Amino acid sequence: MRHVVSVLFLSVGICVPVLAADGPVVPNFIEETATAGVDAVYEGDWEFMVGGGVAAFDCSEDGFADLYVAGGSAAAHFYRNVSDVGGKLRFERFEAGLELEGVTGAYPIDIDSDGITDLAVLRVGENVLMRGLGGCRFERANEAWGFDGGEAWSTALAATWERGASWPTLAVGNYIDRKEEGFPWGSCTDNWLHRPAAGANRFGTPFALKPSYCALSMLFTDWNRSGTPSLRVSNDREYYKGGQEQLWRIEPGATPSLYTPEEGWERLRIWGMGIASYDLDADGYPEYFLTSMADNKLQTLASGEDPSPRPTYADTAFAKGVTAHRPYVGDNLRPSTAWHAQFEDVNNDGLADLFVAKGNVAKMPDFAEEDPNNLLLQRPDGTFEEAGDRAGVASVEIGRGAALADLNLDGLLDLVVVNRWHTAQTWRNTGGDTGRWLQVRLEQDAPNRDALGAWIEVRCGDTVLRREVSSGGGHAGGQSGWHHFGLGDEAKGEIRVIWPDGDAGAWQDFDADGFYLLRRGAAPTAWTPG
Amino acid sequence: MRFLVHVVLIAAVLGLVGSARAQSDERAVEVARTWYRLTLELVRHTPTYSPPVASRSLAYLGVAAQEALAGGRPSTRSFAGQLNGLEAFPPRPDGIYDEAVVLQGALTISTRHFFSNTGPTGQRAMDAIGKRLDTLVSEGVDADVLERSLAYGQVIAGHVIEWSADDGGAVVENMGFPHDYVLTEGPQHWVPTSLIAQQQAPLLPAWGTNRTFAMPDGATCGVPPPPDYSEEKGSAFHNEAMEVYEAAKGLTPEQREIARFWSDDPMLSPTPPGHWISIALQLLEAEGADAERTVDVLGRLGIVLADSFIGCWEAKYRYDLVRPVTYIRRHIDAKWQPDLITPPFPEYPSGHSTQSGAAAIVLEDLFGATFAFEDETHVDDGLPPRHFESFREAAEEAAISRLYGGIHYRAAIENGLEQGYCIGAYTNGLVTRGAE
Repeated sequence: MRHVVSVLFLSVGICVPVLAADGPVVPNFIEETATAGVDAVYEGDWEFMVGGGVAAFDCSEDGFADLYVAGGSAAAHFYRNVSDVGGKLRFERFEAGLELEGVTGAYPIDIDSDGITDLAVLRVGENVLMRGLGGCRFERANEAWGFDGGEAWSTALAATWERGASWPTLAVGNYIDRKEEGFPWGSCTDNWLHRPAAGANRFGTPFALKPSYCALSMLFTDWNRSGTPSLRVSNDREYYKGGQEQLWRIEPGATPSLYTPEEGWERLRIWGMGIASYDLDADGYPEYFLTSMADNKLQTLASGEDPSPRPTYADTAFAKGVTAHRPYVGDNLRPSTAWHAQFEDVNNDGLADLFVAKGNVAKMPDFAEEDPNNLLLQRPDGTFEEAGDRAGVASVEIGRGAALADLNLDGLLDLVVVNRWHTAQTWRNTGGDTGRWLQVRLEQDAPNRDALGAWIEVRCGDTVLRREVSSGGGHAGGQSGWHHFGLGDEAKGEIRVIWPDGDAGAWQDFDADGFYLLRRGAAPTAWTPG
Repeated sequence: MRFLVHVVLIAAVLGLVGSARAQSDERAVEVARTWYRLTLELVRHTPTYSPPVASRSLAYLGVAAQEALAGGRPSTRSFAGQLNGLEAFPPRPDGIYDEAVVLQGALTISTRHFFSNTGPTGQRAMDAIGKRLDTLVSEGVDADVLERSLAYGQVIAGHVIEWSADDGGAVVENMGFPHDYVLTEGPQHWVPTSLIAQQQAPLLPAWGTNRTFAMPDGATCGVPPPPDYSEEKGSAFHNEAMEVYEAAKGLTPEQREIARFWSDDPMLSPTPPGHWISIALQLLEAEGADAERTVDVLGRLGIVLADSFIGCWEAKYRYDLVRPVTYIRRHIDAKWQPDLITPPFPEYPSGHSTQSGAAAIVLEDLFGATFAFEDETHVDDGLPPRHFESFREAAEEAAISRLYGGIHYRAAIENGLEQGYCIGAYTNGLVTRGAE
């Protein structure tokens, strides 16, 4: 039985959401860990207390997202998605050439813009760029692409194409000096900015982003809609001295510089572990959820909007109900430890929800040892309510990285969570009284075929759903491929893309409950799995 | 000739003994300094270590260090019988001891216990430091001496740990924030000032009932009531709030620097008690202090810091006063923002003022009333050193920094300092050194 309360929502100007009588519809997630075939475990001791990411991307060209899961001290594994549409989740481990040890995470990016997704692999040790060969096979490309993988403890990555560039810029976040045993605090090592070499399709010498404060998540994001993304860095205060959260101005051809207090950037010091972003209030500017220990942060631009906002943010986590600071099931009321975070609409009601992977660092007695993942469903008034237990995803394994993605292409977002010392868990979203949906893939001519830096806008009812296309953030893992929107009860809508160079495409019609390829300059093309 | 040979031999033996003792003393100093340096990091990087909790652990660590040396040197006196509830330590079994090894045994166990809830990095660091110092102190020491000394150090630590177990502060849950707490009604009383969910209840409301170390109990050095609460312009209370408000608006660069220097936020610094321990470590190193002097200073300073937090917390929850940020936003300027993060507990008196006053009195007794020094505690965090002509000057600056930072009224600062001076006198009454 679906309860639609449309009058209220029309009055606030949003999609007509699907809403249960007592709040947002809680989707049903069925755990299929035992049968899904994703048997990866994030192993390792102290050097793998952070990381544990998963990359979700399609390398078999069937539209289904395949998975690459960090293994820590053990080998990482690649899993080819062999699920049927709407069916149970099924993956097969596949020798893709990605079976590296020491992997903390990975992000899929088509670095050489050949239309085949490549993979940036973060490691304790040398980072490795793996060139996609097609058919889910990969080869090392550090030498071919002039990439200096270094020899650090790498824990974060973000990618962008700077204006006019034919080759991407990668930011790599590094953690502490792992050789420091007695006094590792204050030993944060430099983050790196890998920019293209002048006039060549390869990377130049990496630039050290000084100061660096033990980054655990990075995201290129156009926070002020200037057309030029800046680099947000979320840092772990456990190890830095004199540090804080950072926002780097990355202008083409210019030396990176930090936003300053004089420009509005206010000092925030948290155990920064993950970044999720979404334009929650439909004002055109993204909000940022920052994971930490105990209370998490939800930052909303507080400095006014056009014409030139300042990077000043208000913390609205408490007001919105997303502090997610302690377990909500069980008897353990010690504070939580949060890692990967991701905004997605899991019940397709037109409102972005928030998933947070939780897990103790490792026997930290001040913090909850049994720390359930959060699934915070957004209400029409912009606040969130916890539904992880009701949805079935409140696992108390030691979570790290995660991915919400439609793994069986049924329009509902499924979930995979990487756990430390425990098998990764996989859940299939079987819905319930959920709403309608839309999924799109962007494509433009090289370079930057996947259009990193674009904005996708979906006109839904009286509002515009808006999301930025990025590669970065989360905790040690990212995704490429389909971009998902929940539509509530809307059967049709309009969509447009503001491409990375600022060119706004035309509004174009679509029918709900479908996949579309959005090729720059062309009409949306419906796509059907299989 | 035989006599001469004997004299030479005796002199040589004495020389060797003296040399060995001097070497052991140097190692003991290294042991004490290194463990303390590590504990300042553990305080900073272990979330439970709010200032009161940190002060407790540092106090017990200091007692263990003092007792480790007290058993072997008549010139170092035991705290047994002087500190509340501390009974005599088991005597040393007969035999030769190496003082550095005894100290290493005591501090290794004590640090592990009083900082047991640190995370994996802290545990790893304690392992690494323990091994490094084990190697240092055992070099050239006979195996039986090593074993005996280590075992006795562990006995010392065990005695201290057992004594600490029922002081009221041994178990701290949820980082000190009670899950259930009923706020006192009335506009004069504390309300949460933070948007952090965990901090909707105040920190450690029962800490003032903990067993004290050197003073009789938490109420021993009570403070007079703060000015009567009033919302009326021109009232003493309103005037104090206006002073905070105006100060914040007109902060000079140096005042802002002072506020930051003494901010000493938990989890971002060694906290206020750790700041004073850091000062002491700097002074001891500069002085080239020997082991007895080192543990005396650190032991007494730890005790007074712990007592001052118990005393201050007793008063804080007795008066339960509203913070400036709450009052000013309600009655003066709804958008007012203090320069510092307002701590999540009642205002009166100021904890930093109480403990800084107490620390200053004790350090005056140990170093002198006009001892000038540089404080480099926050250099690693990018804050330059500050110079002080005396410990009281430093304490007074620490105290007024809370007004500059917008988190305390003047009464909390001035009466907090006075409370600290009172508490410090009890620690100064302890006998820690005597004729050899």
